[in-house]
Parts: sequence; structure tokens; C-alpha cells
Amino acid sequence: MANSNLPRRIIKETQRLLSEPAPGISASPSEDNMRYFNVMILGPTQSPYEGTFVQLLIGGVFKLELFLPEEYPMAAPKVRFLTKIYHPNIDKLGRICLDILKDKWSPALQIRTVLLSIQALLSAPNPDDPLSENIAKHWKTNEAEAVETAKEWTRLYASGA
Amino acid sequence: MGTKLTEELISTVRSIVGFDFSDMDIIRALHLAKNNPTAAINIIFDAPNFISKQKSPTPKTPNPNPKSKPNPVPDKQPNLVVKDNGNRILSQNLEVNCIENDARDCTIDDSERVLSSVGSEWWHVGSGVVAGLSTCKGRRVKAGKEVNFTFPLKSKISNSPSPGKGFGRGRQTVVACSEIVRFSTKDSGELGRIPNEWARCLLPLVRDGKVRIMGRCKSAPDVLGIMDTIELSISVYLNSAMFRKHHQNSLKAAANSTEETIVHPLPNLFRLLGLTPFKKAEFTPADLNTRKRPLNSKDGCGLLASLLNVSKSENQSGNGNEVENEESISDANLENIVGVGDSSELEEMDPPSTLQCDLRPYQKQALHWMIQLEKGKCMDEAATTTLHPCWEAYHLADKRELVVYLNVFSGDATIEFPSTLQMARGGCLDQIMLLKILADAMGLGKTIMTISLLLTHSGKGGSSNSQSGSQPCTGGGSSDNSDQLPNQLTKSTKSSGFDKLKQKKMLVNGGNLIICPVTLLGQWKAELETHAQPGSLSIYVHYGQSRVKDANFLAHSNVVITTYGVLASDFSAENAEGNAGLYSVHWFRVVLDEAHTIKSSKSQISVAAAALVADRRWCLTGTPIQNNVEDIYSLLRFLKVEPWESWAWWNKLVQKPCEEGDERGLKLVQSILKPIMLRRTKSSRDREGRPILVLPTADVQVIYCQLTEAEKDFYEALFKRSKVKFDQFVEQGRVLHNYASILELLLRLRQCCDHPFLVMSRGDAQEYSDLNKLAKRFLKGGQNVLEGEGTDVPSRAYIQEVVEELSKGEQGECPICLEAFEDAVLTACAHRLCRECLLASWRNASSGLCPVCRKTITRQELITAPTDSRFQIDVEKNWVESSKIAALLQELEKLRLSGSKSILFSQWTGFLDLLQIPLSRRNIPFVRLDGTLNQQQRERVIKQFSEDDSILVLLMSLKAGGVGINLTAASNAFVMDPWWNPAVEEQAVMRIHRIGQTKRVMIRRFIVKGTVEERMEAVQARKQRMISGALSDQEVRTARIEELKMLADSQIEPAVYRKMILDRWDVEGPPPNQWKRVRKRKPPPPLQHSNGAYLALSTSTLSGSATQYYRVGVFDNCSQKWRNLVDCLTLKTKKSSEVQTKKLAVVQNVNYGALGLDLISIELVVSEEVLESREKAKPQLWKMRTPEEASVHWRQLFGHLDREE
Repeated sequence: MANSNLPRRIIKETQRLLSEPAPGISASPSEDNMRYFNVMILGPTQSPYEGTFVQLLIGGVFKLELFLPEEYPMAAPKVRFLTKIYHPNIDKLGRICLDILKDKWSPALQIRTVLLSIQALLSAPNPDDPLSENIAKHWKTNEAEAVETAKEWTRLYASGA
Repeated sequence: MGTKLTEELISTVRSIVGFDFSDMDIIRALHLAKNNPTAAINIIFDAPNFISKQKSPTPKTPNPNPKSKPNPVPDKQPNLVVKDNGNRILSQNLEVNCIENDARDCTIDDSERVLSSVGSEWWHVGSGVVAGLSTCKGRRVKAGKEVNFTFPLKSKISNSPSPGKGFGRGRQTVVACSEIVRFSTKDSGELGRIPNEWARCLLPLVRDGKVRIMGRCKSAPDVLGIMDTIELSISVYLNSAMFRKHHQNSLKAAANSTEETIVHPLPNLFRLLGLTPFKKAEFTPADLNTRKRPLNSKDGCGLLASLLNVSKSENQSGNGNEVENEESISDANLENIVGVGDSSELEEMDPPSTLQCDLRPYQKQALHWMIQLEKGKCMDEAATTTLHPCWEAYHLADKRELVVYLNVFSGDATIEFPSTLQMARGGCLDQIMLLKILADAMGLGKTIMTISLLLTHSGKGGSSNSQSGSQPCTGGGSSDNSDQLPNQLTKSTKSSGFDKLKQKKMLVNGGNLIICPVTLLGQWKAELETHAQPGSLSIYVHYGQSRVKDANFLAHSNVVITTYGVLASDFSAENAEGNAGLYSVHWFRVVLDEAHTIKSSKSQISVAAAALVADRRWCLTGTPIQNNVEDIYSLLRFLKVEPWESWAWWNKLVQKPCEEGDERGLKLVQSILKPIMLRRTKSSRDREGRPILVLPTADVQVIYCQLTEAEKDFYEALFKRSKVKFDQFVEQGRVLHNYASILELLLRLRQCCDHPFLVMSRGDAQEYSDLNKLAKRFLKGGQNVLEGEGTDVPSRAYIQEVVEELSKGEQGECPICLEAFEDAVLTACAHRLCRECLLASWRNASSGLCPVCRKTITRQELITAPTDSRFQIDVEKNWVESSKIAALLQELEKLRLSGSKSILFSQWTGFLDLLQIPLSRRNIPFVRLDGTLNQQQRERVIKQFSEDDSILVLLMSLKAGGVGINLTAASNAFVMDPWWNPAVEEQAVMRIHRIGQTKRVMIRRFIVKGTVEERMEAVQARKQRMISGALSDQEVRTARIEELKMLADSQIEPAVYRKMILDRWDVEGPPPNQWKRVRKRKPPPPLQHSNGAYLALSTSTLSGSATQYYRVGVFDNCSQKWRNLVDCLTLKTKKSSEVQTKKLAVVQNVNYGALGLDLISIELVVSEEVLESREKAKPQLWKMRTPEEASVHWRQLFGHLDREE
């Protein structure tokens, strides 16, 4: 099985993710493929993706999948939003426009740092480097309205279910 | 008007019709033809009366009567003619006039003068038979009839080529004409021409008045037809005046024109005449004087053949070129090759009282030899009585039994005995010594000998040498230094692009200049100070930034000591500014210590040394050849030994033959060196047959160790890991690009033989062990590096943090592997990573981004992170003795009781670290000397070791302690690991086996069985044999004999055969005649992965910039297998029953940096045949497909480990 040959680094990262998770982030490997992670990110506070507390947290839980390719850590992990999200840098397929996942990848980065970066991206959408043209346009022309839509979507889809 | 025109026309016509026709005939014809040369030629040939008129003794031309005035005769035969008419010979001088002026003006025939001259002036060289070719039809000539020879004009013809003019053949004919020597009789006019072969060598000689010939018809057909053979017997006479006037130089002018082809007229003429040089093996001056030596000619007419003979006999004498450790050759053989002579006959000379130490007898001999050589006297009888190898001696046919010597290379001739020594002097006038003492001859006191020379004979360069007046100089060497000065200056001008200097200024006359490696600077100064009486010599050390460049100051000191580095920098400064230090002085004497430093002739140091202006030049070296005969060229160039300072000569006659395995090349090297080299080994003997130097015996042994089981496992694991990496390179087809990595793999394996811990060590950990230094470097280096980048310098706070972390020894974790650092490095931006992780993250090997901050960094900038220990594990806590250390300790324990001191040499300071552990545990007191110590610290260590009886061991790094140091306090040396070049090891070991050593010396070398070390031993052996081979020629011969045996015996084991071939290959290099350099082709070289032949790593990796022969594997079409080694070098194809071998390809000239690690260049040499066959072969046959095939190449690298995988 693929897991038998898992590099020490991946094992170590996984252990650390599980033992000391980053706030607002959870990542656990799939049972049958240790390179595949189920990820949940809480929408950052003060952002349109924030969940709302009504005794319990409602919404604002985004599911992602993360896959470590064979070359990892020399190549970036592949990450995708599974939860529908209204964000200028994330398209409807959940693909993320983030430099460290592409040309700015460095082997010194880890799963944890990648996920933190994604979390940060939610806090600071960047419509100038869009993946989703329409959303970016919306963001630029009428940010307030766009933020509203984002909040709406968060309520609708990011239930964590 | 027309004189010019007419002349031109005449010569045009003459070029067609030849010299049968007088000028007047031609003028007449031209007149008839209205100055149309074509028509004139037709007239001449068509009108029979032209010829008849010609024939008639009184031509009807308006010429003056030839009987009263001989001018018309030259009209007919413009540049005369020697007649064999008893005593009647025409003067050559006149003939020369003829050429120089105009043919028509010269007056010829002066029988009286000729009569008187024939006796003494002209020496009968010999007679021969020439088969002339008839150019006429219908004429008759009787046997016994004297013939005249007509030599074409030189100047006229070349001046008037008359281009165009309506006949296309004109130019060609002109050229051809210029070489044709025609002969005629008085009665019947032109009869024919002599063969070109003769004409070519006679022409220049006759033209220059050096030779003349007389001839008679020997036999001829009754009636001549075109192309009939007329046999002529001719006698050749040599003008003795040329010897008296200009010595041997006079012929040189003639030779120059043909220099390119190295066909010199005189030797050629001798050969045509059937003269053979007589042998001079048993030749003495007495024989020569009485000239009663029987003509003892044997074979060997050809230039090279005779050369070979000459140098063979040459070898009979000369100084002790003893060859040791060569039991394989019979005594008789040895005598043949090397000769039995030695230097014991040299006289001794007492040093001046200013030398404050006693010289040993052999040192006095050397002093005498040096002094004499500087004076230009032959003190070595052998040198006086031995013919210079470039010269041949001929007996002339003359009754007076004259002997003439010819230089087969330059074509020079002389009647003075050209002894080896004399010619060396005559050629260069610089005094030369190569104290050439092979590896085993170190420690004989070259320094002292040189100092005694300086004290005995010193003066100012360039000034007329006061001592030279009293020198009884012999023969050609009569001119003393000052005479030759301009000459020599010119030479250096030519050779070194030195013109500026000469044009610009007069050089200041200076004293002695000693150039030595920087490590010996202090020693030279110290020895000069201790051994020379105070005040007898003024010494100036020309070194450092603040060195005085003033020429007068430099010239003022008796002795200036400097280093090669300073020399090179002064040289470039000289070229740049036109005025700098060493080059503004005309030195009295230049001494190169450790002269092999300049061995690489293209290096700047070498060029710089050769450009020095000096009267006397000396090279001191124990190892004149380190890698290649080429090493000698550089020395000869510095010494200005003619003609070998010219690369063309050297390459043609020595280098190439040596490379091609031609013995003559080596012979020639020997004979060049013999007169100018004094070489004694420690076993050389004096007059009474006692060794010149009584040193205690040295007991040299190799201790072979076996790896323990655990070590073996480790070694093999390492080996396998290396093999995987290597295979990867092979698979990627990137072997060529990864030589450095491959060598590193090799290095690790070698270290593993010493101790497995070493493999886990880091190389440059020492450098920044001082953390403050490190911090500074970051803060400072950051600024420099970042100037272009514009990014931020790592902040002071951050660096402090890093440094603190380091100083606390906090382990930390590599951001890439998330493990504790393994061989951590620091980037310029002060980030710490495992070396391997960092490098793996880069796309290319030399630079990439910092994974932490994404700044571009290069591999060079990386700093090995300092730790307390260079080892990853706590070696003290986990200490295990390696089998090698165990063996060493055993030896040391044996010696402990006797209290005798030992030196342990290793290449790796890391290993010295490790050695310290067991030494301290066993309470063996030791000191340590390595490259980190400065000069003073070193001296302190050496002093401590020498004087403190309790200290038993000196740990020394091979490189730091190799040269110059005297460590005779120790009597045991242990060489812990083999180095590629045995000379380096020898140098080190000879620190203890030298003058002053009183105890028996024990030398032990450690080799681990079944590892790469064993392999290296073989490389060393080959290299050693190469060194002695170049001097003695023995090895080459042995190898050849063995190889012949191999070839003869088909039962021979393939492995042995393979080894033989490789040995030979390494010693001699590939036979280049069928090899074509294909360097020009773009890299990657033509033989690459997909093409078939594959580069594999050589076993003969040498340090320095050695020429290397990489073996190339090729696919064998016959057996459908990749062939290894032999098989790589030679493609065996079975044709019926015979086995043919073909050499296919070889890589040449692999240069490494100083550490032997960085690959600089590779040159691939491929047989043309391969290139051809490659095209023919089916492509898939040339493809390397499986790892199995790749492993063949691996085997070439680590063949010793192969166990049929």
C-alpha cells in the first residue's frame, strides 16, 4: 500500500497536525491513503466567512481536501475547497489561487502553513489577482454587496455538514 | 626602357625553355617574336638552328668570345658549375656572386685559385652515383666524360613570375624550374637533370657556397633519348671555410628555409651519398684527435634511427640514473637502457669559508659540478666525450680523415666535437642544473648545495663576468655570458611577450634570485642566515603587499628570496604597467626551488618564470616529473635549453613520441637532461663505491588490514548507496556532469576505510568554529551579497539568535526534513538546513532559493554550521576502533617502550581528530600539525615534538606537512591513507628519512583489503612507474615486453590481460596516431548515452591537472554486451581465427582543481573508426538499456568490489 513507503516528514507532519492542531484548522489523513487529508478550516473572524455563534457555531466551516504528491515536500500539496465559497481567489470548483501552492512553493512550508495561508486568504481576498473573474469584478465594483453575498454563501453552504 | 622588360621576358621564356639557351638566344627569339614570349618560345623550339647554334662552340650571338671572357658561359649556364676536372674546380665564391648579382655580370673560371683551393679549402665528403634523367634526344655522352652542373637562379626566377602573358603553365613551370639541376657536357650541351631528391639538398648548399660537386658520366646509353638514365658518379666537396668562420651557425641560414619540414640539406646530402654516422659508444677524444677511429658504421641511416643509436650509446655514461625497485629487468637490460655510469667521478670542491657548515663529499661534488657548469666547462668526462645526441659524426671520404658533425635536427654542421655539455651551453649559455633527485632522493641537501654555490660564485647579472675571464672554455662555448646577453634577451623577448621591457629600459644588474613555495620562504631565509657567514650575503625577502618594487633596491641585495605567487603577480604587473620588481632586474642567477611548481607550461607561473632575465638559471627539484613528460618541457623552457624551449621542437620530438609510446621520445628526454642534470639518489655511490649519504636504512612496509564485520557492512552499505547514485547518473545520462559528485562518493568510501565515523563528518566545520567570526560574516557578508538584490539583510537580532542557538548547541530541526540537522549548513541569510535537504530542493546544483526566505543563494555561500564536533554523533562516547586504528595502535604500542617518535599522516584532519581519542585514552602523548596553524604555531609544534622526549606522536595532515620540514626527530612514519599521487606521500615520508636521521627508519602504510584503497594502490604503482619510466625508460619497455607476452599467450587470463592493457595505457597514454581529437564538438561529447559508448569513471584519478585517461565503454557488436575496460578500449572482433583488437575511444585531459575534486574540463578522444562504425551500427546496438549495463560502468569505478552481481 502507498502508506508503507511514507516519508518520515509526512508522518511527522501528520502527527503534529493531530497532536497540536492549529487554531481553526483541522486536518486528518484518510484511512486508506495517508497522503490524502480531509481538512476543515474555520472562516476567520471579522471576515465574511466567519461563522455565527448562537450557542453553537453555525456555519463558517469550510471543508477542503489536501493531497500530498509523490514529490512532496519538493512539490506543493494539492488543495481544493470542497465547500462552495464566494471568494475572488477561489473558483467554483474550489481551486485556490495562492502563490505558495504554485511557483512560490518552498519545501520549508508544511501542511500546517499552507492551511494557515488559506485561512489568511479568507481574511484578505485579493480581487486584483482573481481566479473567479465575476466574483472579483463584483468585489471591485461593489465590495459591500459582494461581502454580503459571501456571508450569504457562508450561511448557506459552510455548515460543516 | 626595355632592359627591365626584356629581362622579365627573358626569364619568362627561360622558365619554359630551360637553360640550354643563352640569354642572347632568347633575346634574339624575343626580337623575332616582337617581344611576345609565347611566340619566342615557339621560335626557339621550332627553329632547329637555335639548338645548333647553341651547340657550336662559338655562338653567333653578339656575345663576347667565351674563350677570352667567360661571361657567355654563364649565359648558357648562368650560375655555374663545378667541374670534375682533376684539379680544375671553379670557385664557389664566384658562384655566389653570380647569384647575388646578375648572372651575366659574373666572371667565372679562375683555375689558379681553384687549384690552390681544392687541397685545403674543399674537403671531399664522398662520392656517389646519381641516376640522372636525360632531357635531350639524340645526343651522346661517353662514360668518363666530365659533366657540369647547372643550378638555377634563385632570385631572378622568383622575381619574375610573369603572370598571365597568355600561357597558363607559366607559373608552375617557374616553380618547378627553380628546383631543377641540369647537367651538361662541354661538347654536347645539356644532357639531363639530376633527380629532385638530390637537387633539393644540393641547391641551397651550392647556392650558399658551402658545397660543390664534380661529376662524371659513369654510364649512359649510346644515344640518349628523353628520360633515359644517365649514371653519373659525383663527388661532393665541402667548403671548410664555413666551419672556421661561423662555426656551426653558418649552415643555419640554409636550413631555415626548410625548417618546417625538418629536411635539412646537409644531412640529407650525406645520406644520399651513403655516408653513415659512425658509432661513438667507445669513442674518446683521443680517438677523435688522432682520427684513427675505424669507420664503424652500422645501420641507422635514417635520422631517427641514428638518433636512437646515439642516445642509446649516450646512456652508457652520465650520472647515476639508477633505477631501483625494478627487479624485473635483467642486468644486461638495465645496462642497455640506463647505463652503469654514475656521478661518482665528479670532483669535489671545497666551499668557501663563508659557508658555515661542512659539506658532505657528494655535496662538494655538486658544488664543483654547479660551478663548472656555470663556467661552462665540462667536468664530467663522459659529457665531454659523449657525442651530443642530436649530432651525428661522419667520416668524410677525404684522405685527411676529416670528421664532420651534423645536427640531425637543425641541420647544423661543425667540425668541433659537439659534446653533450658543450652543445647545451652553446645553445643557451645559461647554466643549468636540475638537481633531479627522485622521490627517494629528497633530503640530500639541495638547499645547502645551492647556498654554497651562491657563496662560491656570485656577481651581478649582465655585467661582464669577472670570473669568466679565467675560464678555459672549450670550443663553441668560448663566448661567455655577457656576449650572449643580447642574444638571450632576444630570446626571452620572443618567448614571453616581453618586448616592452626590452624596448623600454635597461635592466638593472642584480644578484641572485631564489623563488620558492611560500612555505619554504622562512626556511630559505633561515638556512641562508645560519649557513652563510654573517655579512657575506645580504638577503632580502621580497614578499607581501609592502614589498619594495624598486629595481635598484632589489638589485642591491646579494640574494632576493621570493615566492612563485609574487613572481606571477610581478609578472602580470609588469605586463600591465611596464615596470615592476623582479622584472626590472637582470639577475645574475635565478634559482627555482621545488621547480616542479612550474611544471604546467601554460600556467602563468611557468610563463612568468621563463620571462625572467638572468644569466644563470637553476632548477631544484626532487621530482622533475610528476605527471607527464610535459612537466620537463616547462623546466627546459625556463632554463632556455635550445632547441627544446620551443614547443614545436619539444612536441614533435619528445612529447608526441612519448605519447605514442615511442621509445625514442624518452631516450631523447634522457639525453637532453643528462648533461644538465645532476641527480643522485640516496643510494648513489661515491668514488670508492660507498653510498654518498649514509642514512640509516628505511624499512618500508604496507600493512594490509581487514575490515571487521561491522565495518564491512557499513562499507558495503555505503558502497551500495553510492552505486545507486552512480546508477542514477548513468540512467540520466549525466555522468559527465556529475564527476564532482562521483568523486565525492569515492571520497566517502576512502574515508570509510579509515574510520566509518569519518563518513559522517563534515569537511569545513573548522572554519567558522569561532561564532563571533560567523556573526560578523553574516552581518558584513549580508550587505555585500544583497547589494544587487535589494532585499533585507538578516537582522542583527535574528543573527544573534541564530548564533546563540548555535553556541548553546541547540539541536533544532531542519525545516525541510523536520528532523534534527544532519550536516547543517547556514545560508547567507542565516537559515539553517540540512545540506542534503537544501541541495535537494534546488533545481540545479550550484544555486537556488533559500527555502525559508526565498532569497537566491549559491552553493559557495553556504557555511557549514559550526558544532563542537565535526561528527554527528558523540564520537568519544560511542568510540569504536576501526580496524585500521587498531592496527596502528598495535604498532604504536610496540614502539612505546623504545621511546622512538612517530608521525601519523592522514589526508583528513577529521581522522586526526579521531586518532586523538585512542591516543589520549592510551596515554600516548601527542602534538598535532595541520593546515589551521600559522607558520609560528607550526614551528612551535615542530620544536616541541623534536625537543620534548615525552611526546611520542605527531599527528600531521598530509598536505600541511608535505614539503620542506625537517622532522628527523621521528624515526617512524605511518601513512594512514593512500593519496592518489605517490610523490606526495613520498615527500611527506621523506621528512624523516633525510640528513640528520641517525636511527633506523620505519615507514608503514595502511591499506584496507578489498576496498577502494587497494584500487588506489594500483593507481599509485602505475604512477610511480610512470615517473621512473620517463627517466629510465624501463617501465615502458617492461610493460611492452609483458604485453607482448600477453598477446602471444592466448591462454592468459582475461583479467590479467585487461590489467596489462590498462597499465600500459596509463603509463604511455593512448597511441594518438589513429586518434582524433573531437573536443571541438559541442558538449555533451559525441559518445553519450544514446549513442552507445559511455563514459565511465576512471580508476586513475590523479591530483593536480593531470592528463587522465577515462575509459569509455562501448557496445560490442559481437558479443552483444557492454564491454568493460580492455573491452572498452579495444574492440575485439573475431575474424576467422585471429583476434583483432581495436582501440576505440578515450577521454583525455580531465582537469581537477587543487583538491582533486572539482572537475574543470574533460576532453574526449575518439577513434575515427568509432565515429564511423557508430554511424553504421544499428542504433539500438549502441543504446544502453538496462541497469545491468550501467553496472558495467560502475564496475570500472569500484571493480574491486565486484562479486558477480
